[in-house]
Amino acid sequence: MLELSTRARGLAAIAVSLVVVTGCGIAGQSPSPAPTPAASPTPAATGTDTASSGPTATPTAAVTPTSEPTPVPTPAGQLDFANWPLYIDIDEESGGYPTLDQFTAESGINVNYVEAINDNEEFFGRIQPDLAAGHSTGWDIIVMTDWMIERMIRLGYLQELDHSMLGNFESNAQPYFANGWFDPGNVYSLPWQSGIVGIGYNPTLTGREITTFDDLLDPEFAGRVGMFSEMRDTMSLALLSIGVVPEEATIADVQAAQAKLLEAAQRGQFRAFYGNDYYDALAAGDVALTIAWSGDVSQMKLYDNPDVEFVVPETGGMLFVDNMAIPANAEHPIDAHMMMDFWYDLQSATTLTEYIGYFSPVNGVRDLVLQHAQEARDDGDSEWADALEVIAETSYPSADQLDNIYTYKILGEEEERQWNDLFNALISG
Amino acid sequence: MARRLRRLTPYLFLLPGGLWLFIFFVLPMLVMASVSLQEGSLGEGFRLTWNFGVYAEVINDWSPQFIRSVLYALIVTGLTLAIGFPIAYTIAFRGGRAKNILLLLVILPFFTAFIIRTLAWKLILADNGFVLGAAKDMGLLAPNFQVLATPLAVVSGLTYNFLPFMILPLYVALEKIDPHLVEAATDLYASRTQAFLRVTLPLAMPGVFAGSLLVFIPTVGDFINAAILGSRDTTMIGNIIQRLFLNTNAYPEASALGFVLMAAVLVLVAIYARAVGARELTVG
Repeated sequence: MLELSTRARGLAAIAVSLVVVTGCGIAGQSPSPAPTPAASPTPAATGTDTASSGPTATPTAAVTPTSEPTPVPTPAGQLDFANWPLYIDIDEESGGYPTLDQFTAESGINVNYVEAINDNEEFFGRIQPDLAAGHSTGWDIIVMTDWMIERMIRLGYLQELDHSMLGNFESNAQPYFANGWFDPGNVYSLPWQSGIVGIGYNPTLTGREITTFDDLLDPEFAGRVGMFSEMRDTMSLALLSIGVVPEEATIADVQAAQAKLLEAAQRGQFRAFYGNDYYDALAAGDVALTIAWSGDVSQMKLYDNPDVEFVVPETGGMLFVDNMAIPANAEHPIDAHMMMDFWYDLQSATTLTEYIGYFSPVNGVRDLVLQHAQEARDDGDSEWADALEVIAETSYPSADQLDNIYTYKILGEEEERQWNDLFNALISG
Repeated sequence: MARRLRRLTPYLFLLPGGLWLFIFFVLPMLVMASVSLQEGSLGEGFRLTWNFGVYAEVINDWSPQFIRSVLYALIVTGLTLAIGFPIAYTIAFRGGRAKNILLLLVILPFFTAFIIRTLAWKLILADNGFVLGAAKDMGLLAPNFQVLATPLAVVSGLTYNFLPFMILPLYVALEKIDPHLVEAATDLYASRTQAFLRVTLPLAMPGVFAGSLLVFIPTVGDFINAAILGSRDTTMIGNIIQRLFLNTNAYPEASALGFVLMAAVLVLVAIYARAVGARELTVG
């Protein structure tokens, strides 16, 4: 017995020393950008290079040291793609992804497409430890919203793109969405789709037209209103509702906006603070009105519930751009470039838009959708033709919408913590 | 030498399990303890500053959710006991040949993932789903009646999900009871109630104890049920920890909350063990 206890004491000593070591390890894990740039491509790849055929222009040279020094980038034949639910065309019968299948057929690259992202912060929280430690996250392409792209660039968590491999992007990118405030020059990311954060509602349940953010707080709808668990979306709309432009919001403004929502929350106004699952709640009628993403509502109208409507609140909506990016230390960066450029092919982009109904970052999509609508009408399928005409309208923000949409504020760490503290207190009763 | 080896044998047997616990339980706990005492942010990194103040801070910030979690877990433990005991009793004493099939039925839900089962309840209980919707169409319920997003939904979901953890240990304890003991009690003029209260129940106490722990502990920390079936007003401590870890990247606060939760559970379990253990001693 004595023997055991001394041994136990020895173990404790080892354990304590391990705490110290691991403690340091974690402290040292701080994502000082030092480890990541080592894995990101050579500076020559940033686009300033004129002869893009040189070996320095391929990011693989730095990332996959095993390959022989050939200037032609060779794909690995494998790609791990993390995206949000309801964000790609799906074959209703087989459950497969037709456009991805087409990509695989053309390129020989096998795509492991996973609807792994439900929330920017949450997904970031999952991959952050790997990124900080300089490991692969297991993903070659991730789709993150603009403000998160900005944060990840700042932390050194994304690989620079090699634009010599992005010919379709260079020729087809829609100027309005390219070159965004969060990534000038698209050095790290290409827009995937874009949309507006506004209000989705079901007129048969609300009994009236919804026009402003304050309708979400109307006691008439108590318990049948959805909010977002995405802090920036909810708080930005609330800020706009008290007349504050989110980019200029001070902490006092945020406190005022939070107090306004908190008062409503405490009288049971909100059913829940939803992630992506607000879609089901609105489609099923569990909520009558909710904060919503524009494209989801177009999709819902077509496939799940013809009654629902989307509106940009009179006080203003938020423009979001979701972007494809390659996380640092990704294992298949060449394949990722090919996939990213594939979506800037007009045909693939149009198929995607016709299915999911968001704003497309690709030029010419609207015309091609309208052309398909005409073809459908000629074939006698007027229902599909009508649907396509609606989609063509929503594939690019309208003039009214452009006047009334805002972008997210870039939050410093201390500021973000303050916003988060206020928001966490709001959503946890 | 041989004698020495024999003396070491028990420890050698403990080695694989001990190593396992050390690597996957003790080490992570030490790391968590270290993280909870760090300060910093994602950009600047986290540094160990021995900031014990974080514990007072998280208790202060999140005590309503703490109390709610413990309360829900107590209710759920009571409910699973009330529902599970008759089931386990019936299977153990009246199951006959069907015993194994009945036990299989008890664990059958485990063949589906926890989260899927919970999501299924969300569909079943949807405001205008096939249960409530039908009842509303027939005029049995008010049009605004809802089960989802209420404490009732969360407690029911938890009870449903953790019921087998109560039934199985109860069954094991009851199954071991020699029916002749009950017979002997009735032969000695005990009524059926008396025989149950003074023979069966005391002998089943180890099962009650084990079952209560198996239900209470995971229930206190659960976040799935509250996230899927609940609302803002049913937020449990697990939801807070999850959010602080994954959404807010507030690793120190989340780790500290984890430790406070663990400590609270240990204290409650110790009190319970004392109460039940004492009774077992006096009766047995």
